[in-house]
Amino acid sequence: MNRKKLRGYREFLYVLPFIILVLIFAYYPLYGWVYAFYDYKPPAPLSKDLFVGFKWFHYMIDNDIKRKQLLQVLVNTFAISGLSMLFSWFPMMFAVFLNEIKCKPYKKFVQTVTTLPNFISWVLVYSIAFCIFNSTGVVNSLLTQWGVISKPIMFLQSSKHIWFKMWLWLTWKNAGWAAIMYIAAITGIDEELIDAAKVDGANRWKTIWHITIPSILPTYLVLLFLNMANFLSNGMEQFFVFQNSFNKDYIQVLDLYVYNLAMGNGGYSLSTAIGVLKSLISIVLLCTMNAISKLTRGEGFI
Amino acid sequence: MKFKKIVSLFAATALLVGTLAGCGGTAPADTGSSDAGTTAQTTDSGSSDAGSDTTAAASSSGAMEIEVYDAAANFQGLQTGWFDKVIKDRFNIDLNIIAPQVAGDAIYQTRTSSGNLGDIVLLDSVDFADCVKAGLIKDITADLPNYPNLNAYAEQISTYNAGLEGNNGEIYGIPTQMMNTSPTSYSQDVVYSSPLLRWDYYTELGMPDIKDLDGLVDVLAQMQEAHPTNDAGDPCYAVSLWPDWDGNDNMLGIANVVQLTTWYGEKIKDSAILKADGKTFTPITDKNATYYKMLHFLNTLYRRGLVDPDSGTQDWNAACAKMSAGQVNLFWYSWQTGFWNSQDRLNDGTAMIFIPVDDQTYYADADAYYGSGRVFGVGSGVDDEKYKTIMEFLDWYASPEGLEFQHAGIKDFTYTVGDDGKYTAINDNALMDNLPVPEEYGGAGYSDGNNQINEWIVNAASINPNTGETYQKDYWASWKAATLTQMKKDWAAKFGAAEPAEWMKKNGKLVISPNVPVALASDTADISVIRNQCNETLCDYSWKMIFVDDDATFDAMWDEMTETLDGMGFQDLYKFDCEKWQPQIDAKNAVK
Repeated sequence: MNRKKLRGYREFLYVLPFIILVLIFAYYPLYGWVYAFYDYKPPAPLSKDLFVGFKWFHYMIDNDIKRKQLLQVLVNTFAISGLSMLFSWFPMMFAVFLNEIKCKPYKKFVQTVTTLPNFISWVLVYSIAFCIFNSTGVVNSLLTQWGVISKPIMFLQSSKHIWFKMWLWLTWKNAGWAAIMYIAAITGIDEELIDAAKVDGANRWKTIWHITIPSILPTYLVLLFLNMANFLSNGMEQFFVFQNSFNKDYIQVLDLYVYNLAMGNGGYSLSTAIGVLKSLISIVLLCTMNAISKLTRGEGFI
Repeated sequence: MKFKKIVSLFAATALLVGTLAGCGGTAPADTGSSDAGTTAQTTDSGSSDAGSDTTAAASSSGAMEIEVYDAAANFQGLQTGWFDKVIKDRFNIDLNIIAPQVAGDAIYQTRTSSGNLGDIVLLDSVDFADCVKAGLIKDITADLPNYPNLNAYAEQISTYNAGLEGNNGEIYGIPTQMMNTSPTSYSQDVVYSSPLLRWDYYTELGMPDIKDLDGLVDVLAQMQEAHPTNDAGDPCYAVSLWPDWDGNDNMLGIANVVQLTTWYGEKIKDSAILKADGKTFTPITDKNATYYKMLHFLNTLYRRGLVDPDSGTQDWNAACAKMSAGQVNLFWYSWQTGFWNSQDRLNDGTAMIFIPVDDQTYYADADAYYGSGRVFGVGSGVDDEKYKTIMEFLDWYASPEGLEFQHAGIKDFTYTVGDDGKYTAINDNALMDNLPVPEEYGGAGYSDGNNQINEWIVNAASINPNTGETYQKDYWASWKAATLTQMKKDWAAKFGAAEPAEWMKKNGKLVISPNVPVALASDTADISVIRNQCNETLCDYSWKMIFVDDDATFDAMWDEMTETLDGMGFQDLYKFDCEKWQPQIDAKNAVK
């Protein structure tokens, strides 16, 4: 009993560093939530500020205009997240097809080229976009030269198809990176399965359809469910750099909205309140997805 | 067993939290526990910062590093180049500039909550008052009289500090850009905002009289028709706007539009517009006021194809490049001429100059006798040695020698001294073309090494006791003689005055608003959220309205905007702002 106890303590010490890490980086920041309940305004420290209870939570929805704005922000968030969810098979199919390329150097080349954009920051991506798409940029210059248009098209300034355009940029930047996971899964497929299928007379399409895809489907599902739980957080960098007065109505997602509120002119308390709500909803989403996963696959992922 | 495990887990957690609290000097939680605690902690972190900084700096140059929290700077990092050399020779200090305009306003929140904003602090007066209240600014009452150059402005300094809430005669802040003329005089030749056009294009059109904004639009349209591209073949436009300054300088709305309102004598004070009579306010959403009028003016320009289509998406650098390349036919900030008017261009008549529009009267702030609104202070966390160095530096910064470096540049590089002791400007393109400075100043580019603090204790239009002329070259007799080009002579002959401001005064077209030292109320948490949301809404709608194709859509959007603004709480904001600015208006009218 005593030795067992000692072992217990020792094993606890093994895990202690990780517990500490989690506490510091995951739980300690939650302390910041108290800002949502104060009229916080720098430079006065929190102790000198007024405790206001749920005022900021009410503030979000206390008239039609604000409700409409918040709703629009949610619609944008859901639309953009939904779009990437809808096309979440894209990296998987990309990986599958990439795997079918027989010429090794070419395969490596494609993979490298598609992975690289992941390491470019969004700010640089926007600079590139501005150079290509401004009124005197490459695209407009070429179109004018060819006589297709007489007046430059303001690509960055229109809010048309902005959700789709954002998805395109995201895919351009992320597809290669996201495919890595699937490529790893594909490498893990038992060669014998494929050989057996070939012996049975399956062609390439059939091997893909009956072996490759079913084998990586579990990976896909786990990633999909995790993404669903993250439905409300589609990051802000991308939308921050691409936002302007003309497309803001449709590009402002929840994270960006919080940023614009807080960093614009110090609405820290209000944006913390929105952040709190977001976290709570995300937890609910995660649990729901877990439950669905249990129902459909027979196992949860948390 | 299980229970014990949980207990030990809790024990570990408690231990951890204790450790955290013990070392958490920078955590916001610990900073404000009590006043005494804050001050003690501030001093601690301040000196330890200073210690580490000094050691870091010592390894490279042995200089003391001074952190400057600088609301005016467009540059972040260590001051380099010739200005660094100048101050290092005198004080052996390095200036480490922290610029919210570069790093984002969030840095203000993080630094204030850590209790140490900077060693030298330069803030807008409202923020400054907040920081004094929060104990972030050092009381310099006792030491100010020891510094003659600063003490020369004792009246202005004490007037400013007396306006701080709950102040009993202590001195915390030193206002910027002070002058020694009077609060109602106007010493400059040009006003901050007025229509500026290319003189050669204007004469080409036969120097037409411009009656009103429509006339201006016509003139600009004719100019663009005659000169669709610049010499390099890039397209020209009447205006090229940029969105990154929106909502600055105590004004809601597009930064480019809010300045235009001064063409009709009206001045935007946050969400309110001060009418030309200098007494009444009207909301910025008033359709009969100038914000609407000037926005409509830009929209008219757009409909005539005169607005740079990239206006809404480009940043200041892109807009600036277009100005320097001669792609923009209408300037409206007086400083914009700095990106185009060179001595050569003044000589061959292609420079930009003020052309009056008949129905306009121009608003101008009088000489900044009591300062321009920003304030210098010393951080409360500095130690004695550093404090002494900072005060010596600030005193030098306000001294004739320091001001010559700030406003006139380097002797024998940007100006020469004549036998009569008067100065003559040379290399006047030094800033524009980033000319290399003499070896003794390090040899790097002049613009790169320019003073990055970007704010001055004494105004450039003040009189330099060494010469009896202003610090800035534009008013030197030698400069006036050199710039009396054919273009200037033609301009004077046409309008019957030597300088734009003189013409305005002569014709009663100048509304001078006296300079008064009034401390303004700072936003409550509610108002600050409303202000931010209203500003964003106003700017977004305004940008869209510049790019619409007909009046009906324009008005429909304006109405929609007004409705949205009201939903955001605009009426509360307007009420707050009227009350906020009323004391200043009262003081101004009392001076008149």
